[in-house]
Amino acid sequence: MSRIPRDIREVIREEPLMHRHILKAVAAGPRTVPEIAEAIGHPSEEALFWVMGMRRYGLLTESKEPTDEGFFTYAAVGGGVAR
Amino acid sequence: MDYDVLVVGAGIAGMESAIKLGDMGKKVLLVEKEGSVGGRVILLSKVFPTLDCASCITTPRMAASIHHDNITAQTYTDVQAIRRSPDGGFRVTVHRKARYVDEAACTGCQLCENACSVSVPDQFNYNLIARRAAYIPFPQAVPKKAVIEREGTSPCTDSCPAGIKAHGYVSLIRSGKYEEAFQLILEATPLVGTLGRACYAPCESECTRGDLEGTLPIRRLKRFVADRHYAEHDGPGIEAPAANGMSVAIVGSGPAGLTAAWQLARQGYRVKIFEADKEPGGFLRYALPTYRLPQDVVEQDIRNVTALGVEIATETPVRDPDALKLDGFDAVLLAMGTPLSTGMGVPGEELGGVMGGLDFLRDLRHGTLPDLGGKRVVIVGGGNVAMDAARTARRLGARETLVAYRRGREEMPAHKSEVDDAEAEGVAFQFLVAPVAVVGDAMGRVQGLRCQRMELGQPDASGRRRPQPVAGSEFVIPCDVVVAAIGMAPDTANLARLLTLEGRRVKVDAKTLQSEVPYIFAAGDVVMGPSDITQAVGQGRRAAHMIDRWLQGQEMSGFAALDDRLAVIDKAKVMARQTSFSHRDPVTLHLEHQQAPRDFQEIERTLSEEEALRGAGSCLDCGVCSECGQCVAACPPDAIHLEMHDQTYDVEVGAVVLATGFKLFDAALKTDYGFGRFPNVITATQMDRQLAPTRPFNTVLRPSDGRVPDRIAYVSCVGSRDKTMGNPLCSKICCMYTAKQNQLIMGALPLADVAVHYMDVRAAGKRYEEFYEQAKAMGANYIKGRVAKITEKDNGNLILRYEDIDNGGVITEAEYDLVVLAVGVQPSREAERLFPDETLTLDDFFFVGEADEDLSSGKTNLPGVFVAGAASGAKDIVDSILHAGSAVAQAAAHLEEAGAKKVTV
Repeated sequence: MSRIPRDIREVIREEPLMHRHILKAVAAGPRTVPEIAEAIGHPSEEALFWVMGMRRYGLLTESKEPTDEGFFTYAAVGGGVAR
Repeated sequence: MDYDVLVVGAGIAGMESAIKLGDMGKKVLLVEKEGSVGGRVILLSKVFPTLDCASCITTPRMAASIHHDNITAQTYTDVQAIRRSPDGGFRVTVHRKARYVDEAACTGCQLCENACSVSVPDQFNYNLIARRAAYIPFPQAVPKKAVIEREGTSPCTDSCPAGIKAHGYVSLIRSGKYEEAFQLILEATPLVGTLGRACYAPCESECTRGDLEGTLPIRRLKRFVADRHYAEHDGPGIEAPAANGMSVAIVGSGPAGLTAAWQLARQGYRVKIFEADKEPGGFLRYALPTYRLPQDVVEQDIRNVTALGVEIATETPVRDPDALKLDGFDAVLLAMGTPLSTGMGVPGEELGGVMGGLDFLRDLRHGTLPDLGGKRVVIVGGGNVAMDAARTARRLGARETLVAYRRGREEMPAHKSEVDDAEAEGVAFQFLVAPVAVVGDAMGRVQGLRCQRMELGQPDASGRRRPQPVAGSEFVIPCDVVVAAIGMAPDTANLARLLTLEGRRVKVDAKTLQSEVPYIFAAGDVVMGPSDITQAVGQGRRAAHMIDRWLQGQEMSGFAALDDRLAVIDKAKVMARQTSFSHRDPVTLHLEHQQAPRDFQEIERTLSEEEALRGAGSCLDCGVCSECGQCVAACPPDAIHLEMHDQTYDVEVGAVVLATGFKLFDAALKTDYGFGRFPNVITATQMDRQLAPTRPFNTVLRPSDGRVPDRIAYVSCVGSRDKTMGNPLCSKICCMYTAKQNQLIMGALPLADVAVHYMDVRAAGKRYEEFYEQAKAMGANYIKGRVAKITEKDNGNLILRYEDIDNGGVITEAEYDLVVLAVGVQPSREAERLFPDETLTLDDFFFVGEADEDLSSGKTNLPGVFVAGAASGAKDIVDSILHAGSAVAQAAAHLEEAGAKKVTV
């Protein structure tokens, strides 16, 4: 990870913009943060901000247990209507 | 005396001080800058050494500090100044920030938060997660009332003469709420499609992003939502309201008249528009060529108005507004615009082939324009009408089209884009020339335009340099047609008997737009003279508001859309919120101009959805809240009121207790540790949030990828006992909160390995040593030796390089998934600024000084001013509470003494 992370405020500001992309990424089934990040083409530390924001506001929910690799998966709540 | 004691800060020390004083019968004003009392303690997971739930021990005190009979608690409030009163007490200036929420009505349901379109870092979770601009500070907040974070009006919104909430619709588009964005613009005007094309976009000129790589495409975003709406709806998509029994006549159907009609109809008025021309729309219909504004767009916008029942009578000029009153209308709005072209005032103007700029464009719409094929056309003037006439002439086949303007290019009143586009389409320009006469032939036809050259002198009243003729410089421009686009004027001659005119403009009150005949209002260009569509829309809105107020017998004020906005936010403040900005390519449209255009097809295309989202996604949320209005719509008890204002007032108090707390060391300053650069280096306060029941994530996770960490390291004394960071002091709490978090992590993640890199452990407190031993017994591996540097691997893991003192001082490296920095405590420096007339003494480390720390704990150098808790130095919760008790005792004694002196006197 030689990249310098973007300013947190800039990343967080993009959360509403990312809803549709993330909901599309999990439409076929629950995914981990790195899988979501790869699907939407953004770094996983940025995807974490967006996934957790969406979880906080009821758009995503996590699996009960993590995978063997230690990752929880996240799925859309109520089918996840991407606007 | 309003209160016996002012307590500044409602953390644990402030709450304890207030409650104890209240219990003693003292009247207390408790002031807290955040939206909830509770300070830092309520944000903790558990407390050491008992591992009691922080919420469980804090929330009763939070509730008591709010509901105590003797305590007045004001949250989201600052103390601005404390000055000594002649009677020995203090005059306190209190600044109550507007929450924009009626606290009595708010139920804390959080529906506003869910609806909000602006996402910002959550300071109550130490920036680990987003919150919304509309927010409740945290789940246990007391009072549990929402706050709308507004730092000012965003520059885009502030610059709109129509009062359109540009930031609002941009943030809605960013959220994919296209129809909501359209409806937000509709609140201002029905002319969404028109303004999406023909507005000169002052919002874009003021966009803060313009100071970076380029402005947002704000105007085209408006067009984007309009085009999407009209593709699916025929009309505004809202129902006509019930009639209120009153009626308004509007003369003129341009942007001012249509907007006023829309606003009045939405309030239940019966509205009838009288239009002199064949079709409604005024300038939109007749002055703007269709390559800029297609007629079907104008018609769609007008259908918004007629859908609400507004009647438009065309070819119905109004000569006598009195008659409208006699016909039963309760009020009349004059919005006829400036339909007359101003002449050049030179000989030969009567020749065939000379016409006014507006007449030229109007004749085009009426189909009565003479054939320009192969002709040489000279347009006199430098405004937007001149540019429209010139580009129209090009499309009609003119062999040559020349714009003659008496000033230079920089002084042209036309918008720069219009001038550039005209030039791109083959229009020629001749600057610093003024017409002297139109030259005709024997048949009375134009042969040329005699001009004289000009030079620029001193600036005139408009600020532009005044053109002055150059003697002996006359020459003739050969041409067949002259279009004089030098000015426009209202057609108001018939009104002179009834109303006062200023030139040809109707004189009205600038705020109310009411004339001296009370039932007659006027708006738009008939009042302002030639302006632009957006200003006319703003006038139409204002006129509708004032007509409604007048007809309802209310005070002629309260036009919040334009008269009562928050001050525009300073762009420097917006830029200072971020340490860096990544580059974003501006959304630009390359317009394919033809040198010899032959049709009136619209030139500019609409944005694609991808372009719209990319453009809107560049918004910096300057004012924080975008005023999108979604929270207002979502609030069941109608508790949100964006028109609220901050309040500043003075109170008299007998004594002051400063409980302003501490601030945490900024871990980014310790650059060797990589905080802010390496996602998996976090602070202990961030870890405490991860361990709390109201945690930001579903469990403890690495911020780099959301993985549950297996190996976690703590680094102690970050920003404490470190002269290189300017703080030689021990922060007293770090060792114990580290031991606490070790135990909680091992409970939450039983398989995780926890190591603590420390210099030495200070556990000086009741049961603290046992607590530390307990952490070690549970498996925490304490490694003595200061960490020199942290580096990051490609997988986000972290390498700690340290001197392993217990193993011979060998330089060692260890790899971890997550590193937690045990950051120290620093003085907040908030208290000293409160006393403009006195100097509050600080100690050597800039904490609030205590005059006699050993014997009179809590007393400052200022009589009647006391300090409680960590404002005077690093303290844990227990010590803060004890110290608050001391400050309370000192304050009570001071009040008793002051009271005794008064009795004696």
